[in-house]
Amino acid sequence: MPIAVEHFGRSYGNVKAVDDLSFDVAAGEIVGLIGPNGAGKTTTLRSLAGILLPTTGRIQVDGFDLAANPIEAKRRLAFMPDEPHLFEYLTVEEHLRLIARLYTVEDFDRRAATLLDELELKGKERQLPGELSRGMRQKVVIACGLVRQASVLLFDEPLTGLDPLGIRRMRETIVARGRAGAAILVSSHLLHLVEEICTRVIIMDHGKKIADGTVSELASRADLAAAGSSLEQIFLHVTGNK
Amino acid sequence: MIRASLYITGCTTRNRLRVRLRRLREPRYLIGAVVGSAYLYFSIFAGRRGRARPDRRAPFELLSAWQAIGTSLGGIFVLIVALLAWILPVKSRLLEFSQAETVFLFPAPVSHRELLLHRLVRSQVGSLITAILMGIVLAPTAGVGRLPVALGMWALFVTIRVYFAGVALTRGQFASPRPSARLAAWIPVGLLTAGAIILAAAIRRQVMLQPVASASDLMVRLAGATASGWPSVVLWPFTAVLRPQLATSVASFVQAMAGSLAVLAVVMVWMLANDAAFAVAAGEPAEQRAGDARSRKPAVRVRQIGPPLALSGRAEWAILWKNAMQTFRAVNVSMKRIVGPAVAVLVGMSGAAAGMAANQTRGPAGFIAAAGFVVAATAVVFGPLLMRLDLRSDFEHLDLLKTWPLRPADLIRGEMAWPTAFVTAIAWAGILCTALFSGPAMPATRFANRWVFALSAGFAAPALIAAQYTVQNALALFFPAWVSLGNQRTRGIDAMGQRLIMLAAILLVLVLFAVPGAIAGGVVWFVLRAFIGAAAYVPAAVLFAGVVLTEVLVATELLGPAFERMDLTSVERGE
Repeated sequence: MPIAVEHFGRSYGNVKAVDDLSFDVAAGEIVGLIGPNGAGKTTTLRSLAGILLPTTGRIQVDGFDLAANPIEAKRRLAFMPDEPHLFEYLTVEEHLRLIARLYTVEDFDRRAATLLDELELKGKERQLPGELSRGMRQKVVIACGLVRQASVLLFDEPLTGLDPLGIRRMRETIVARGRAGAAILVSSHLLHLVEEICTRVIIMDHGKKIADGTVSELASRADLAAAGSSLEQIFLHVTGNK
Repeated sequence: MIRASLYITGCTTRNRLRVRLRRLREPRYLIGAVVGSAYLYFSIFAGRRGRARPDRRAPFELLSAWQAIGTSLGGIFVLIVALLAWILPVKSRLLEFSQAETVFLFPAPVSHRELLLHRLVRSQVGSLITAILMGIVLAPTAGVGRLPVALGMWALFVTIRVYFAGVALTRGQFASPRPSARLAAWIPVGLLTAGAIILAAAIRRQVMLQPVASASDLMVRLAGATASGWPSVVLWPFTAVLRPQLATSVASFVQAMAGSLAVLAVVMVWMLANDAAFAVAAGEPAEQRAGDARSRKPAVRVRQIGPPLALSGRAEWAILWKNAMQTFRAVNVSMKRIVGPAVAVLVGMSGAAAGMAANQTRGPAGFIAAAGFVVAATAVVFGPLLMRLDLRSDFEHLDLLKTWPLRPADLIRGEMAWPTAFVTAIAWAGILCTALFSGPAMPATRFANRWVFALSAGFAAPALIAAQYTVQNALALFFPAWVSLGNQRTRGIDAMGQRLIMLAAILLVLVLFAVPGAIAGGVVWFVLRAFIGAAAYVPAAVLFAGVVLTEVLVATELLGPAFERMDLTSVERGE
């Protein structure tokens, strides 16, 4: 299984941000991770990316334990955070080259050219992050994640700062990567996006998983029968905001 | 607006204090706090107990003797700094708004003057703490006797801050479309220049009377030249800001403080009068900044610096390349601009050294050789403290670094590699300069011996620099909350204690690093000196460097788990 999370928990001091979370993501699956603010979505994604250490439990990426074999696990995943933190004095192209070097990307030139075109970054190769808009910088972060053949893709609010065309392209890109066999976990507050592109949804609240399944599976659950059939209705119902 | 500024400052200070107190739950930070508190306690109260502080009368007498000459010389120095502020591209901290301030205050219905006053209010906590600490360290008396010095320092700091902001704002007025504004902007420059000319003329007259006998003679004459007439009038505002710190009685302090505050008031009025250039001086126009998260748009031209990064190879080289790019782009220079002048300087230095040797000009050669030695020694001792383009500066990107599939040891070594190479290059330049000019400066010393010492120092320098970077990065990994993130400085009593602990730890660890290498090198030197004489220093230095660098390698491997365990929530983030 590309992503396997078992009894994962993470605390900040006395505060439990995530508690006993378990789920899998199969190859080709696009899973939406949704929940109200403070539900523990970003903590989960950052722990999956190897940024935060789990307080309890185990995370496996493509069969590699993130704690025991972090290098092999990280080699297989790409994390695209919501905040585009880039190196201030490296150009767009240099960011891609650096990532290609660190992840040993083959056929870099072709892949980079395709990606730059796909993400509308063509012509911006030699610009510094400070010369780019927020949306463009977000695209650079996404390009850095997609320039390698990662089998696990983690997106934290991938549409933040993108223009309408960028949003549509991003949606197509995520779906295309899923069809190509990548296991994708998308955290977003845009429920219509999640409903449209995700094959499965995990709803979190107060650090716990409170629902897991396809939208139709969730809608057909006996306890959610009164909620309605849309993801938004289900979400509001399970998070207690009926 | 002032009330809002006071509210922000008060809440920020209170909450920052809470965070720091919470941090003390961890023993490592608690130890830092205990050491810092102990240092403060003994610094403040030692005099009362009458043991740690020696006789305080001597400094007072010295102070009185220096009061006349010292204030004049200090005033000249302040005048020079005030002039340089117009010439050098100095930034004003008062005009550096945090992202939160930009987002919340720029769109708010407040004037530019109120924004400037807000920044001034917010800077007061830092100014006051620094002034109190300086009062503790510099004052020749104990206890409350330090208060005048602290108050004087506070007034000085605020005046400096306001002055630099005034310079930045007035510079913005140079490009004003209104001729009257442009003209008005030149008035302070004109006044300063006229004042400097009057002073220079008075000093020149004094110096030309008869040759200067000694350094103290020069100082007395400088003070004499500025003690009366127009020069004393010109120098008054610059000496006024220094007088409170040198006051020896309450009456003289009150009088001096009134003068200092008067200067502050004038500078403040001048700064606020130039608020029309606020948008230019503070960066982008307020309206744009408020809606745009790009607050640090670099004004550099992207140049190709060297060949592009190869797509395969060791990770350390990739990190080194990244940091090198950051440095070159930050200073906005290309490789061509560095290599050419460097070669020219080298050729020029060699020619000059040869010329000095032929003409037997020992004095200037000795001065240059000594300067080279100072540069090399400073680079080796202070370089790793000052050049922080390693893991310490990359803490801002720690999220990203942690996702990279690299061995932590490789990452740490990669981060250390570029600053080590950079500081080593500076040290080598200093050593080369010393070696070249020590020939004409010390003709009695054999050519071979000079170059043997230079070569030995050249081998030992990178090892010592790398060892220091290892210690600095190790401390950053073990005490992440004490690492300054970006422009932010770590503060708090525990951070002060940490600096004391760090200083002691750095010295201790450096000694521990150097001892095995020194022993190995010493043995080689002892064995070989009978056969090759002074040349034995070279293999000894090579062995010393080899041993220390091996220790660095081992130490970075041992630091790997600390990097993996490191908790990002410990890192204190700015607004």
